[in-house]
Amino acid sequence: MIKIDHLSKSFGNLEVLKDITVEIKAGEVISIIGPSGTGKSTFLRCINLLDRPSGGSIRIDGVDILDPKADVPKVRQKMNMVFQSFNLFSHLSVMDNLTLGPIKLLGMSKEDAGSKAVDLLKLVGLAEKAESYPDELSGGQKQRVAIARCMAMDPKIILFDEPTSALDPTMVSEVLSVIRRLAKAGMTMAIVTHEMDFARDVSNRVLYMDDGIIYEEGTPEQIFVHPQKEKTKTFINRVRSFTYHIASPDYDLYAMNAEIETFCDKQILAVKQRYNLLLIVEEMLQIYNPFLSKALLDINLAYSEKKESLEVVFESTGEAMNVLDKNLLSDELGLTLIQSVTESIDYQRLNNKNRVTLILKKQ
Amino acid sequence: MPIQTSKETTALIVTITGKMDALTAPEYEKKFSELIAEGEISFIVDFEQVDYISSAGLRVLLATAKRVKAVNGKLLLANITGVVKDVFEISGFCTLFPTHDSVASALSASLG
Repeated sequence: MIKIDHLSKSFGNLEVLKDITVEIKAGEVISIIGPSGTGKSTFLRCINLLDRPSGGSIRIDGVDILDPKADVPKVRQKMNMVFQSFNLFSHLSVMDNLTLGPIKLLGMSKEDAGSKAVDLLKLVGLAEKAESYPDELSGGQKQRVAIARCMAMDPKIILFDEPTSALDPTMVSEVLSVIRRLAKAGMTMAIVTHEMDFARDVSNRVLYMDDGIIYEEGTPEQIFVHPQKEKTKTFINRVRSFTYHIASPDYDLYAMNAEIETFCDKQILAVKQRYNLLLIVEEMLQIYNPFLSKALLDINLAYSEKKESLEVVFESTGEAMNVLDKNLLSDELGLTLIQSVTESIDYQRLNNKNRVTLILKKQ
Repeated sequence: MPIQTSKETTALIVTITGKMDALTAPEYEKKFSELIAEGEISFIVDFEQVDYISSAGLRVLLATAKRVKAVNGKLLLANITGVVKDVFEISGFCTLFPTHDSVASALSASLG
């Protein structure tokens, strides 16, 4: 139904989509997941030509919509979009929001468009709101009207761009249940979402996007239960991480500690865990100190909500060397403290770098 | 550097607040050196307000204890609790230093 080949999109020097190739078949429900800022929304906007792709091709039922001769308004009728911020016409009633497109663009009679609108409002559970104005509706109701408005144009596919992100948590489920109902009815949909349980439950296929590409794709089972690639695993395990770069012995320990404390606040870590994390970083830095004038050091903190584990990785340039080798230490005080608060300490030489991975003891 | 001192007959009580880490340790070490140079030989360090100590802080205590010992003085520690106490225990510093549950108890000990 939609065949996308080597799609790319840049804004100035910023390459948001690098090389996207994917096919969406009729009746499929595709969830697009991934970290913020990885091009998910831009991808949807390119399919709908709200953003003009920089390269590649998009074919809908064999027609190249990037051909200058393509009838863009006609293309958009085939695939409607539901936005994060609803985008209803605030000066029109719910009924007029739903009938405007069908009357103006599809040439339907007012009666037919009205009757269809009533059916669609029933489908989304808002028949009694036909004469209300958007400002009189809750966020969840507005989004349900927006979905009904999409359906009014008989689209072949609906593109959802984070449909629940702007909603109060209490209203998320009402919108998701409407989308579930459409999925059951066989509607073709591509949904950018951060609602992982929903994505897992409703989709036939999941695209994990990262850094402007489809990094991994598969069934919900493949992506959520058995992800194969590192970044997907990290994302699915809800790992939140923070990296600090040290390029000289005169690094700002105050600033770094403040950032670590902010990281701890965000993860809501217990006092003891926070203390141990600061202790590990400080002791490791003391041990690294003699080498910092000639090596670059990256410290990565990663907290996995799912495993409730806190991992600290120290990666340094320079010749192969385990800084925690007892023969290299002037005394073992720092190492003793590190060992006492860690569950495991692992050294590896990877990609010409020394990597020490420490996993903190659970509290 | 949040450090306060108060003079008692048998010792100088040094109250430390906040962190004894790589950032603050050099300042503490300097302060203890100055106090010893001024003639103080017996110290009671009150840890009640200390919420973090690393090896850098422990090393300051060790260096100060050596200096104090050289002049036949004493370094007693009081009110070490919680996560700070854990660090003392892990590092074995609990056995290196006489620790007391309160400043009053340390003061009594300093008489001996």
